[in-house]
Amino acid sequence: MTDLILQALYSGLLQGGSYALIALGLALVFGTTKVINLAHGELVLLAAYIAYTVESGLGVNPVLAIPAALVIVCISAVIMYFLVSMVKTDRELNSLILTYGLGVILTNAILLIWSADIRSTSSAWLQDAIVVGPLYSMRSEPMFFIVSVVLMGGLWWWLSRSWYGRAVRAVAGNRDAARLMGINPRRTELVSFVIAGILASFAGVAIFSYGVIQPSLGHVLTIKAFVITVLAGIGSIPGVLVGALLLGVAEALTVTLASSALQELVGMILFLLVLFVMPNGLFGRAGRRG
Amino acid sequence: MKKLIKHIGLAALALSLHSGAVLADEFLVGEDEPLTGALARVGMGMHEGISVAVEVFNQTNGKHTVKVLTEDNESSPAKAIAAVEKLASQGVVAFTGGYGSNNIGPASDAANKLGLPYITSGGVDNGLVQRGYKTFFRINNTAGYQKAMVGVLDDMKVKSASVIYSTKEATAHLAEDVEKDLTAKGMKVGMHPFDPGISDFKPIVNKVRLRDKSDVILMVGYENDYVGILRAAKVLKPDVKAMIGVWSLATPKMAADFPDLMPKVYGTALLPYPATFKTEEGKRFYDAYKKLYKKDPDYLGQFGYVQSMILFNAIARAADKGTIKSGGIAQELAATDANTLIGRVQFTNGDNLNFVHHMGQHQGDRIQIVWPKDAATADMQYPGVPW
Repeated sequence: MTDLILQALYSGLLQGGSYALIALGLALVFGTTKVINLAHGELVLLAAYIAYTVESGLGVNPVLAIPAALVIVCISAVIMYFLVSMVKTDRELNSLILTYGLGVILTNAILLIWSADIRSTSSAWLQDAIVVGPLYSMRSEPMFFIVSVVLMGGLWWWLSRSWYGRAVRAVAGNRDAARLMGINPRRTELVSFVIAGILASFAGVAIFSYGVIQPSLGHVLTIKAFVITVLAGIGSIPGVLVGALLLGVAEALTVTLASSALQELVGMILFLLVLFVMPNGLFGRAGRRG
Repeated sequence: MKKLIKHIGLAALALSLHSGAVLADEFLVGEDEPLTGALARVGMGMHEGISVAVEVFNQTNGKHTVKVLTEDNESSPAKAIAAVEKLASQGVVAFTGGYGSNNIGPASDAANKLGLPYITSGGVDNGLVQRGYKTFFRINNTAGYQKAMVGVLDDMKVKSASVIYSTKEATAHLAEDVEKDLTAKGMKVGMHPFDPGISDFKPIVNKVRLRDKSDVILMVGYENDYVGILRAAKVLKPDVKAMIGVWSLATPKMAADFPDLMPKVYGTALLPYPATFKTEEGKRFYDAYKKLYKKDPDYLGQFGYVQSMILFNAIARAADKGTIKSGGIAQELAATDANTLIGRVQFTNGDNLNFVHHMGQHQGDRIQIVWPKDAATADMQYPGVPW
């Protein structure tokens, strides 16, 4: 039993790291622009398919697809931002509808370009087992867990220490006051989308490296990312990591101690509980608007 | 001059009547298919088989032709109903297609209300044939898959099995039916349902490895689930003797896309690979498929082809009897007794009770049929797992 629980905790942590990587971009855009980007999962998926194309076309490790994914996904994110910025009235609601539509367009574009077949890496190096005592994982899982933590640390540093990061936070806090301080809100929002694109690129390559992708996966990723963003509390980067790990571990323990059929249910119960007990999320500040 | 004009007029009338008769012999058939969304891949596979059936039927029937109008139901039950209603408004006389019991159920409900027959091979939920519709027909069912899974386990003489299955309707029913059968035979069975949204199967496979310690793992899901389970099993290496799945697993596509995961894995298969057809119809199907799609046919294409040929032949018979508009197609379908590429097809309350699937195994770069013995193309490699 101990071995089972230890493996569940380990698998849950690794899975949580993956969730965090997916959720971070959505959380950043949500926190800074109040736009819930419902096409974020599709951006992640786009990066995953670029990894597939690079691997199958050039026969190289999909990790080497990250530069190509960064370029294409960031361009897509910039286009997405310009479309969202054209929404002049009732931005929070209308951008929701717009990004949902963009998600549908991206899904179908992926379907047209790459077909409906399921894809996953064929790299034996990424899939090889790493065994640490009673704990098992694929090599790609701890690798991308570390990438996830490093990216999160980098983002946290950027937001709290760099001028642009502070500008992003200032615009998130009070757009008009930020403008009076000489900050260009449109440019800082654009930067948020680009950073979200960078994070989505890493997340996509990670998913392709240890999971299975198919065109319909995008909205599943968006839902997962949204749940974690709300769990974390709007605008909290450490909260995303904690929320994602909590969700990953809760799901893995549910599978081990009860039934895997209840896994998604437990995630949703956790989500609702946090909403009821802590409406601002685990790390959200009271008074901050979502 | 007047006489000449009269003759020309009569000739024109005769010609127009003749061409009208030719047009009347082309029947419109509706195809309700998931071409996008979660079921897009299987939907496309079925669609290919249906297109091949149109090609073959129109070339061979000589008297009647069919034209298929296709609507994408986007893997959604609501859109499947809309597809059926739209196709009916365009004048189709029957429907072929559908995948997933949850889509086929409402789509065939709509077809039944319109009094139009609906034939499929994509829905194995027993509830579909328990509605008592005279217009619903399917050529395969859960029982056929169940017989193949249980049959191959009998041949292996295993004492315990762990069933890892998706909680979707069709997969859950099949898993539960298999469990009943195996338990009745005195086998120890561990059941592990999983939510279709799951992506990490290691906690489940670890339960099999440390708690169940079964002889074999049975996988009842879809392609992405199989890949996830096999990946997890390759990492954890449970001490099992075989990995056995059902549909969409013993296919050349899976062998090509996941060569490291497939060796010695079992799955239901109608055909060995490379495909070999001994009958005249089989060769016709193979040639037409190759011509249209430049690749070898798979089981989805074969199912789509068989169900559509049965429907087209029923339409032709009803047309010959002049009963198309008075429920003749459904009556002809109900009276079907045909030897097809999937075996003999007869309908009892809309279900083809003759259906028994075969079990294939990935062996090297081939897929061999290993069960039942009379259809086997090679002995099973047992025990054997991909790691």
